[in-house]
Amino acid sequence: MSRVHRQLLYGWLGLLALVAIEFGASILPLPRGLRPALMLPALAMVAVVGVAFMRAKRGPSIVRVFAFAGLFWLTILLGLGMMDPLTRAVYTVQSTELP
Amino acid sequence: MAEEIAPHLHFQYADTGHQEETAIAGMWLFLATEVLFFGGLLLGWMVSRHWQQAGFDAGGRETVLWIGTTNLVVLITSSFVYSAGLGFIEADQPRRLVQCCAVTIGLGTIFLALKLYEWHIDLSEHLFPAGPFKLHGSEADGARLFWSFYFVATGLHALHLTVGLGVLCWVIREARKGAYSAAWHTPVEVVGLYWSFVDIVWIVLYPMIYLVGRGT
Repeated sequence: MSRVHRQLLYGWLGLLALVAIEFGASILPLPRGLRPALMLPALAMVAVVGVAFMRAKRGPSIVRVFAFAGLFWLTILLGLGMMDPLTRAVYTVQSTELP
Repeated sequence: MAEEIAPHLHFQYADTGHQEETAIAGMWLFLATEVLFFGGLLLGWMVSRHWQQAGFDAGGRETVLWIGTTNLVVLITSSFVYSAGLGFIEADQPRRLVQCCAVTIGLGTIFLALKLYEWHIDLSEHLFPAGPFKLHGSEADGARLFWSFYFVATGLHALHLTVGLGVLCWVIREARKGAYSAAWHTPVEVVGLYWSFVDIVWIVLYPMIYLVGRGT
């Protein structure tokens, strides 16, 4: 087996291990607010696919600029989009009957 | 002495290396736009779940976990097999590349077949958000939001995957004609980037659809 294929095999096995971790963690009785933490193994998987299968570290440097730009603007999108839901104080208002 | 020109080299590039770098960078730029395209979906999921957690999670508990998990493993494996094919063409083994592409297409087809079966189960259980709905009571509105997200997200992903299958068939056709070699195989590499991105989208969607809502 060539060095390239051996590295790909390690990447694939690492991904399967992360799937097992993610699936196993989902069985834990996490509180509702902490459940999105189940996305963390998925983020690690994205990194493995990017490095092992998409060769993000090997290509021309402009590739990493585009990859970083995509993630940067995604952060802006999600950050600004969630700004209001995460900072809004919700007050209960008593219902009033119209005359 | 006449200068030898590579057969695939377009006039605007200095050499094949320059052409290859440009093609790969172009695909990465396209994928960056795709990140923002799917980012809107991700934001929709975050906002909807934030305001209607109980209903949203109740909707998530109705998904078919075994199909989602199987599809995740299938798609990860397909990316691995295609990348192995790229490794083979770099070692000047076009026949192995064709074999890897065929296996990748087979795995992609299995994914689509399972997805169609899953949609069939979802629809037969009245989980389509516009119509008579399975869940009732205070959780129904949030659950309908979840299932709206589910059908849009999985539909868009399946569309991307179908495009990927078409492009893979094209790679096989060209490889069988002897178009690729160790010296020139840029399209194989560019298609691999797209296929791995389709894999990444499912990797991100999987916990959002199948895991976060469970266990609450």
